[in-house]
Formats: sequence, C-alpha cells, structure tokens
Amino acid sequence: MSATAGLEKSPTGIAGFDEITEGGIPRGRATLLIGGPGAGKTVFALETLFRGAAERGASGVFVAFEETPELLRGDVSSFDWYDDACWEREVAFVDAQLPEGVTPAGAFDLNGLLAGLEARLAGMERAETVVFDGVDVLLGLMEDPRAIRREVLRLRRWAGARGLTVLVTAKSRGRGDSLADDRAFDFLQFAMDCVVRLSARLVERTAFRALRVQKYRGSAHSADELPFVIGPGGITAPSQGGAELVHRVSEESVSSGVPRLDRLLGGGFWRGSSVLISGVPGTAKTTLAGSFAAASAEAGEPTLFVSFDESVDQIVRNLRSVGIDLSRGLEAGTLEMHALRTRSANVELHAERLMRWIRRREPRAVVIDPLSALVHVGQHAAESVALRLVDTCKSRGATLLSTSLEPGDPRNESTPIGLSTICDTWIHLSYLEHGGERNRSLSIMKSRGRKHSNQVRELVLDHGRVDLADVFTAGGEVLMGTLRYEREREAERRAKERRRAVERRRHELEQALAENAHRLDAAKLEHDRLGAMLEDLRDRASHDEEMAAREERRVADLRAADPDPGGGAE
Amino acid sequence: MRPRLRLYVAAGSPRSRAARRALEDALGACRLEALVEVVDVFAAPEKAMEDRILVTPTLLTVEGPRRALIGDLSDRGALDALLRAVMQEDA
Repeated sequence: MSATAGLEKSPTGIAGFDEITEGGIPRGRATLLIGGPGAGKTVFALETLFRGAAERGASGVFVAFEETPELLRGDVSSFDWYDDACWEREVAFVDAQLPEGVTPAGAFDLNGLLAGLEARLAGMERAETVVFDGVDVLLGLMEDPRAIRREVLRLRRWAGARGLTVLVTAKSRGRGDSLADDRAFDFLQFAMDCVVRLSARLVERTAFRALRVQKYRGSAHSADELPFVIGPGGITAPSQGGAELVHRVSEESVSSGVPRLDRLLGGGFWRGSSVLISGVPGTAKTTLAGSFAAASAEAGEPTLFVSFDESVDQIVRNLRSVGIDLSRGLEAGTLEMHALRTRSANVELHAERLMRWIRRREPRAVVIDPLSALVHVGQHAAESVALRLVDTCKSRGATLLSTSLEPGDPRNESTPIGLSTICDTWIHLSYLEHGGERNRSLSIMKSRGRKHSNQVRELVLDHGRVDLADVFTAGGEVLMGTLRYEREREAERRAKERRRAVERRRHELEQALAENAHRLDAAKLEHDRLGAMLEDLRDRASHDEEMAAREERRVADLRAADPDPGGGAE
Repeated sequence: MRPRLRLYVAAGSPRSRAARRALEDALGACRLEALVEVVDVFAAPEKAMEDRILVTPTLLTVEGPRRALIGDLSDRGALDALLRAVMQEDA
C-alpha cells in the first residue's frame, strides 16, 4: 500500500487524496486539516469516517466543537456516501460545544472531553479514527500559548496510546496561505504528523478549491496543489491516473460519418481511440464532430455530445443545413446532448459533470465541442481534465472526439491543451487561399496504428452533404507536408520545453544562491558572536586573574610580612 | 437548605487541586455553606457526559438556572459572582 516502510496509512476513501499521499493519512497518528471557513474541512473529515465505515467496517468518533450533530447531519445527508444506518453506530458524534452560561475562570484542560470520549469508545467496536472538528474554538479560549501546547500534546498522547488515527480541523486565521499567518496555531501544525491545507478562492470569478499536503512526516507525498470540487459525491479530487496505461485496444473501426474521410483514415477511427479535430474558427470542426455523432447515434450506439457555449438547438439547426440530422438520434434516445456555459463553473466542476454523464450513460461515443473552451478557466487544470477525459473514455472503450479551437496560425502555437500529443488521431482543419478562393482544408496530422493519407484534402460543405474533394494542390505541389508540419511543431514544443527547463533551473540556482547568502550571513553572525564570547572570556579571565593577584597582594600586605622576592609588589 | 454545587476534576491534576482550594477559600470568605460534590471525570465519565463536561475543572450549579465556570477558578471575581448568584437564589 505504502511506498514507505514502517509508516502505515489509513485511506480516506477520497481517491485523488489517497493517491497523492500514497495511501491516505498516517495511521495511529495525527493529521491537521487547516483552511479558511467553507474550505471543506468538515466534509473531508466526515467523508473519511463514512467511507471508512462503508468500505472497511471501521468506526470512528466525530467530536463537534462548532456545530450540533443534528446540524451536521443536515449538512452531509445529501452526499452519496452518507448512510443513515451508520449514524451513531459506526460514526458516533460528541457534541463538544461549550453549553450556554459557561464562563471561563482560569486555566483548564481537556481531560473532561477525553474522559467522555473514553466512555464512548468503550462501547464501539473497531474504532479507528477520532475527528476533532473545529478544535480552534476551544483552544482559542486559552490565553496562554503554553496551555495550547500542553493540550495539543495531551490529545496526541491520548490518541497515540490508543492507536487511534486523529483528524483535527482548524480554521486558519490569516488570509494568506503561509504558516506565519497562523501563529497561534503554529504549534498545532508543528505537533501534527501530517498537515493538509484546504483553500477556496476565486479565480476569474469562479470558485476554485484546492488542497495541498503541506507536511507529511516520514512519507513521500506530492506537495502540488490538488484541485477538488464538493459535489454530490462529496470531495471529488481527480485521480491523476496511474503511471501505467492499461487500456483494452480495439480492432474495430467506427465511422467518422464522412465516407471519404473514413477511406482516408484507412477505415475510420479505432473504437475507443481519442480523436482531436483542431482548427481556427469557422473551419467546420463542429460539423465534423456532428457528423460523427450522428453516424454513431444512427448506428444505434449510445452517444454523448457536450457543447460548450453553443446551445443544443443552435447546433442541431446549423448542422441540418449541411445534411446532418441530429434530431433523429435525439428522438430515438441514442443521442444525448448537453450544452454547458464555460463560465458557469470552474473546470473541475465541469469535469465532474462530464464524468458523471459518462458514468451514467456509458456511451460508446463521446463528443466534446470544443474541449479547448476549458482553457479559459485555467490552462493547467484544463490539461489535467483533458487527460482524465481521454483516460476515462479509453478505459470504457468509448471513442472520444474532441475539438480544439486554434488561435490564429497553427504553426506558431501547439494545441491549447496539448491534446495533440495524447490523441490517437489528429485532424487539422484550416483555410487555404487558392486562386482567389478561401477553401477549407483538412489534413490528417497523425493516426496511430493506421495507414492514412498524408495529403491535404479540401473539405466541402454543401447543401446536404459534407465531403472531401481530391488532393488539394497549388501550383502542382501539396501545400503542406504534414510530416514536416508535425515535426516543426514537435521541435517547437521541445524548444519551449528546453527553455522552460532552463528557466526552472535558473530559478532553482538563484534560490539556492540566495539561501546560501543567508547562511553565510548567519555564519558570519555566529562567527562574530563566538569571537565576542571568546574576547569576553579572555577579558573575564584576565580580570579574574588580576583580582586574584590583587587579593594575594592584599593578603600579603595585611600580613605585613616580608615581601616574597618573586611575586613582589611593583 | 444548602445550595448544591458540583465540581468536575481530573484527579491528580494541578489545576483540579487549585480549583478545589480556590472554591473552599471563596466559600469560607463569603460564609456560604454549600454541598460540594467533587466528581473525577475519569471515574464517572457517563455523568460527565450527561453534564456535557468538556474541560476540567468545571464548576456547575446543580439546581436552578445552569451556571458554570471552567478553569482552575483563579479568577476570583468570576467565582464570587457565581456564589453571590447562588446565594440570592437560595434566599
């Protein structure tokens, strides 16, 4: 389970989290969930308890410092993993709000709570986990930081002695994300074996939730931010996909919906492969996507078409004008279409929705038009969603066709979300000026495991049909050598990567240099301090010696004896 | 009738000893004779749970409106205020 020997882990059941921590939170130790109000700390903790009960039969106690158990129940009962049968049986609650009418009158400790917990745990089988939710409420009443330290250590010692895994949640006080903002709870963070920071912030007006493992004693972990959403399934953190790719490979072809394109492709798309159609605006990406969806639905296969920022009605109407009839599939129920507004949610929420539709409907063909729309809500996140989408479709044997809107000249830019490298088939659409005409052209940039034409075709959209015209030439030569094109892009990409790597390395070295300068400063200070101490010591020693000599002289004087010939007074 | 008080402690803890001493002192000073029941939370956890004891020491009034002090009762003002309230109710 864990890559680290000696440290056992307890799965939270939150897939993406268990993945980046290689197994979950440290078993028998204490983990702190820290974050601002509404960051999802309580949901995280409750989900861990309920999933533990459902998946391992483990039980746990939830100590609620901030809310009554009944309120909490209302908050969580809508989640998929909530199970009424577990309430108070596998998942026990302790109302730890200070009752009304309580006045602080001096120093106190948490022994009362621990005694109550002890009694509670005695009646439970297989108790594994204790959650202290909102511990800052009670600790905040302590004015003495030493008392906070003492009580945190008490909780830890108590749980450690019983082999319990502890989850502590606390609100961060500061607005920022750094340790320094939570001075009062510095010690809390220090005393825990694992610290997970949850955050919710607005990025371009959309909420963006993320968690980060800030510290994990004795274990490897990813310190990257992991985006997540809170949906009906609770905390959904994306699985980053295992390192190994295991997909069933199909020998079956599916039609693109355009017979001549099928021929160019050597028979169509492989079933379960991923297809990318890229192109500048107006190059008929949606038309090709629609023709594939229509063909798939006509063949009686469940098909999912998700459009970003264009309504279903509009797509159906536009495609009808080129002879593609989506309404038949819609009526027959083989085609399901959805239109999403890119800005309506963040990229993770969109991803969660897409995955849910795919899981629910189990389509054989999935169209996302355009997938590049997600880039508007975050480049990095969009890439991660694209990868997961490809992975999900592949593992289910569904053919995925996504379109990508290219900004301007495609030779200067790689596809916005780097899809071209992970797709199996890449079709690029563009305009070509030819004899005073502007024509749409289609080239197959790559098609893995297929013999395909590497020549540019003209894409003809006429009333009632979508077709390809013969090899498109200008002045006797094919306009673009596709292989060269792809190589150029690849070279461009590599150069970009190289530059990025150099940049990264430069940054690292600069940091190391700065750090070293600090160390030198510190060493210099220490040097001066030691020098001063030595000097002081010498001073004192000589002073002491002088005093001793003086004393000796004084005694000698007092005795009024005959002076010692060697040590005589001056 | 003598008013009843309940003091929850964790036996052996220095804060609990301090609370007992402070309570005795304060009762003596205001010449209040009260029935004080000292409860060790680890010996009677169910009772502590019933009274929703989270922290020790906790001083509770047993009758009348619920009044509670948490801490070692080093805040003499707060302790005296509670005892005065108890005496008034009693009278």
